[in-house]
Amino acid sequence: MSTITSSSTTTGRERLGLRLALAGGALLLVSGLLSWSFEPIFGDISIRLWPVSLQVFAMLIGLTAVALALSPTVLRRALGWVHAGPGLWALGIGATAYTALSLAAIAVEAGGLINANEGAWIALVGALLLLGGGWMVRDRPRAPEAFSAQGPATVEIVTIVAICALALAAAAYALGRDDAWVFVLFLLTLGVIGTALARAEVFEWLGGAAGRHQHVLTLGAFAAAFLFPFTQDGSEINMSIATLVLIFAATAIGLNIVVGLAGLLDLGYIAFLGAGAYVGAIFSGSVSSSIGWTPPFLVTALMGGLFAALLGLIVGSPTLRVSGDYLAIVTLAFGEIFRLAMFNLDGNNGPDLTNGPNGITAIPNLSILGFDFGESHTIAGVELSRAANYYLFMLFITALIVLIFARLNNSRIGRGWVAIREDERAAEAMGVNVFGLKLLAFAGGAFLAGVAGTVKAHYDTSVTPDQYQFLESAFLLAAVVLGGMGTIAGVILGAVVLKLMPEKLRFFSEYRLLLFGLLLVIMMRFRPEGLVANKRRQLELHDDDQDRAAQTDRSPQTKEALQ
Amino acid sequence: MSTAAVPHADAPSSPGRGVVLEARNIVMRFGGLTAVDDVSFQVHEGEIVGLIGPNGAGKTTFFNCLTGMYKPTSGEVTLGGRALPPRPRAVVTAGMARTFQNIRLFGNMTALENVMVGRYCRTSSMALTSILRGPKFRREERESIDRGRELLRFVGLDDKADHLARNLPYGEQRRLEIARALATEPQVVLLDEPTAGMNPRETEEAMRLIFRIRELGMAVVVIEHDMRFIFTLCDRVLCLVRGALLVEGSPAQVQSDPRVIEAYIGGSEDDDISADELTEEDVEVLHAEGVDVEPSRTSARSENGR
Amino acid sequence: MDQFLQQLVNGLTIGSLYALIAVGYTVVYGIVQLINFAHGEIFMIGAFGALSTYLILFQGQTSLWVLPFLVLGAMAASVGVAVLTERVAYRPLRGAGRLAPLITAIGISVFLQEFVRLFYDKVPGLDFPSAKQKIPFPQIEVVTGPAIELGPVTIQRAAVFTIGCLIMCGAALWWFINRTRTGRGMQAVSQDPDTAKLMGINVDRVIVVAFAVGAALAAIAGVAQGLLNTNINFKMGFIAGLKAFTAAVLGGIGNVWGAILGGLVLGVLETLAVQFLPGGSPWKDVWAFALLILVLVFRPQGLLGAKVVDRA
Ligand SMILES: Nc1ncnc2c1ncn2[C@@H]1O[C@H](COP(=O)(O)OP(=O)(O)OP(=O)(O)O)[C@@H](O)[C@H]1O
Ligand SMILES: [Mg+2]
Repeated sequence: MSTITSSSTTTGRERLGLRLALAGGALLLVSGLLSWSFEPIFGDISIRLWPVSLQVFAMLIGLTAVALALSPTVLRRALGWVHAGPGLWALGIGATAYTALSLAAIAVEAGGLINANEGAWIALVGALLLLGGGWMVRDRPRAPEAFSAQGPATVEIVTIVAICALALAAAAYALGRDDAWVFVLFLLTLGVIGTALARAEVFEWLGGAAGRHQHVLTLGAFAAAFLFPFTQDGSEINMSIATLVLIFAATAIGLNIVVGLAGLLDLGYIAFLGAGAYVGAIFSGSVSSSIGWTPPFLVTALMGGLFAALLGLIVGSPTLRVSGDYLAIVTLAFGEIFRLAMFNLDGNNGPDLTNGPNGITAIPNLSILGFDFGESHTIAGVELSRAANYYLFMLFITALIVLIFARLNNSRIGRGWVAIREDERAAEAMGVNVFGLKLLAFAGGAFLAGVAGTVKAHYDTSVTPDQYQFLESAFLLAAVVLGGMGTIAGVILGAVVLKLMPEKLRFFSEYRLLLFGLLLVIMMRFRPEGLVANKRRQLELHDDDQDRAAQTDRSPQTKEALQ
Repeated sequence: MSTAAVPHADAPSSPGRGVVLEARNIVMRFGGLTAVDDVSFQVHEGEIVGLIGPNGAGKTTFFNCLTGMYKPTSGEVTLGGRALPPRPRAVVTAGMARTFQNIRLFGNMTALENVMVGRYCRTSSMALTSILRGPKFRREERESIDRGRELLRFVGLDDKADHLARNLPYGEQRRLEIARALATEPQVVLLDEPTAGMNPRETEEAMRLIFRIRELGMAVVVIEHDMRFIFTLCDRVLCLVRGALLVEGSPAQVQSDPRVIEAYIGGSEDDDISADELTEEDVEVLHAEGVDVEPSRTSARSENGR
Repeated sequence: MDQFLQQLVNGLTIGSLYALIAVGYTVVYGIVQLINFAHGEIFMIGAFGALSTYLILFQGQTSLWVLPFLVLGAMAASVGVAVLTERVAYRPLRGAGRLAPLITAIGISVFLQEFVRLFYDKVPGLDFPSAKQKIPFPQIEVVTGPAIELGPVTIQRAAVFTIGCLIMCGAALWWFINRTRTGRGMQAVSQDPDTAKLMGINVDRVIVVAFAVGAALAAIAGVAQGLLNTNINFKMGFIAGLKAFTAAVLGGIGNVWGAILGGLVLGVLETLAVQFLPGGSPWKDVWAFALLILVLVFRPQGLLGAKVVDRA
């Protein structure tokens, strides 16, 4: 408590810490220009004055360190509001981890640490200096300017647009990495810089700026996502990963309505995606479908959505009587029943509808208004592959889903949902139509997943029951939880991380479920509110300690004595 | 602001005004325990009615019966002459809202959002309207926000609109709950221990607030253990003991009723103290002692309190 | 009629298995109101614990005296893992709402399955088979071998073992709950944790004991399942766990005798459904899940549970 003093009185120790951090950052910057290895690995990091991969990442970290270290002094006018102390401390830890892992990577790839050249060692020294400096300033109080940081509107808008562009570049770059080490080290770099900036409370400012220019942010993000295929120059693999990510994200946002807003834990949500996919497949004209009729896709999509919504109503109807954990189990059971039913409706054990475990295969490509999704099209000189077609279509659907989510969230309906999540009985006592809203959440979420499912069926070209098992529901839930319940940005981030990692890292894909399980446990333990915390932060997951502490004058005793 | 001094309310119940809320023969049993035992009462327009009784007397349970949170074992509630079905939503829509003894705000919503939830039953935009943002939606949303801010100002929380409810100090949470209840545009407001845990200054403020609610034309029923608060505030006081209505009358009558005092001492056989000698302070002191005397379930079952 | 008797025996066998697992759900739920989603995996780990014991110590043996050691090995593995998960994952979340522990439990469940699948054959110094396929379970004299013909009814020896285990465990459980201090402490905590704490009962310890007791019974079920099915795999816990949870709810969650009754009833209903409902065995899980939903919706307090009123 006593540390809350004005930052203008920088102590000698802090001054030293800042200088050390500055030196560390500078060394990291310089190291990027030096040779890191005697072997030409990782895009050739052995050449001097030509930074690539690992060298560039080190320079990025170094740049961040320099900016943070100078923020209280030289850059005070521009960056004085940054909370440099904790930021540098986090950056120091991260930089050390990064350089250590880089050395390990060089050792593994080039055959021993002996092959690490001066640049890598200088980077390590820089990281250690940064670590030491960060440790000294970690308790440095926040500058008073911070509390009124609100830049001019143009600066804010430019920043937001720049960030969207950076995100696009980062995504394109990450997807382009074939080397697992480089990919991992790149993600680590992003994570380190991100954490440091979060610690430095940069995101608070960004959050404020984003809140003030929400439309700019949304448009910027979608523009970046829209431009993404044009950066890929016909790479089918990357585009197909991106399309999978989008389908996953769209479904997760639908689930987010149910779980994040209305607080209903749905463990069978994948069944709705499956329902849509089966509708899409059955009416696709595939030879293994038992129904020959093929309506226009928009009709099929609507049917898929409505069928899923109907299932959603059925799954949701027990919410009148069941809630909490029991509801989660009911939804899980529904999900399993769906999968088993699709498995058994093969003509032997039941009516022939789904072709049983073999599923419906050879689903033709989508064709909307004469636009064939199976063909490559050249737009503005860039070839857009099959996957890119689906990607852009899914992007459109995702945009719609985001719009629906955002508008519902910020409306009477959304407030009703959150009220139910917070305290169902109180919501009811305040006149909220609890049962109706719960059904709406289930049916609405299911509808969105159903529509996404119809596209997925065409994109995957086959639909089988085991694509829609419980684990997939758990995965969706994990995306929501990891990203941050009730948020859009968070859930998209969660979906990207969960889908991108295993696709990009072959060795990782074997361990993907193991790590996923671990991730759930760790997240619940240390950051239950997810990577991107909601404005209505931390939902019902959090301990009450903090609110108790926040209730300034009234002690918990009085509160308890009342119950 | 206008109510500078708190007037001492010894005005008797005003028979001239119409009955808004009426409960007839409410009984609520939990297994063998009769928590509310055949209670009837009436509330007139613009009246402030106090409900007192020792801990476990069934006051909160009675509120729950009135608001449909519990379906009473038997008995009937009418609001403005019309029978209320025992469903919370129907009760709110009909015009009766409540607060809770153990505050039940929506902790992760802002103060303004909390109040706006109270507007839920007075607005009607459904999903599609909300997505398309038609003119109706925008008008309703605008109104809800304006009304919400107005109510926050009314309870003195206008500067806290964007704070999360769970971060508000205790006294403000209580006031926010009242604002949320008022947002439902009720004719009758039920307040369950609105000053519990408040300091004297806040209690004073709460009292003013309740007078101002009355000035808005609503009737108020308030449960309290703070006798001075009840006797200053209320036009009429009811005392509940072991689920049954023991005494009903003006504050002065109830205050001096020996049975009330006896009830608060917890059914002690000690006859040395005569009720007439007890001052208001004493009642409070006695009450403070009585807090510890929980009427046991067996006695609540075997006796009917009279 | 013979058909019916045969199915009844089969149902009681599978039901005994469910009952043994269901006790674990019920004791934990009764005390901490947590659906220990990972309990099915504890059962699976019991089976692998027994198998490991066999592979390390008794390779090639088939005599009956091996069996108690297998059971002990199974229990050690299950109880160890269960207590560990409680300590590192659930305990820190106590009082953190209900969503967090449930998601944690799902995480643990996935983690344990994958852990066994990936690493069972990689234990250093031991030559275990890979768990990516089904692994044959050791066959033991007396409890496996030719089935017993009892008039028109055929009974697997392992089935007799399973039902016998349930009876013995039931008796032991009764003794434990009613006759030991710890057991009575458990009852107290499940009825009113706050008061129990005031009375000086160590709630943390009681919770650990609840996890351990449930795990021990699940381990026995794991051995029984191995003997019945002649092989085990890393996925066996998921469906069995869900069914056992159904059984626990059916009997009235929190009530140990309810869990046993629920397990038996579910087992019998399931086998009868296979016999007498259209669709036959491919649909049996569907019926079980449908029953789960119906019970949760229409009688969440189960067969033996009392109705709970939500206080306003
Ligand atoms: N849902 C319920 N199930 C069983 N008993 C209940 C229930 N709700 C209340 N009771 C019992 O009914 C009796 C009356 O409780 P109630 O909360 O109405 O008392 P109260 O007058 O509000 O007391 P206090 O002044 O402490 O708030 C108590 O004995 C209580 O235990
Ligand atoms: Mg009360």
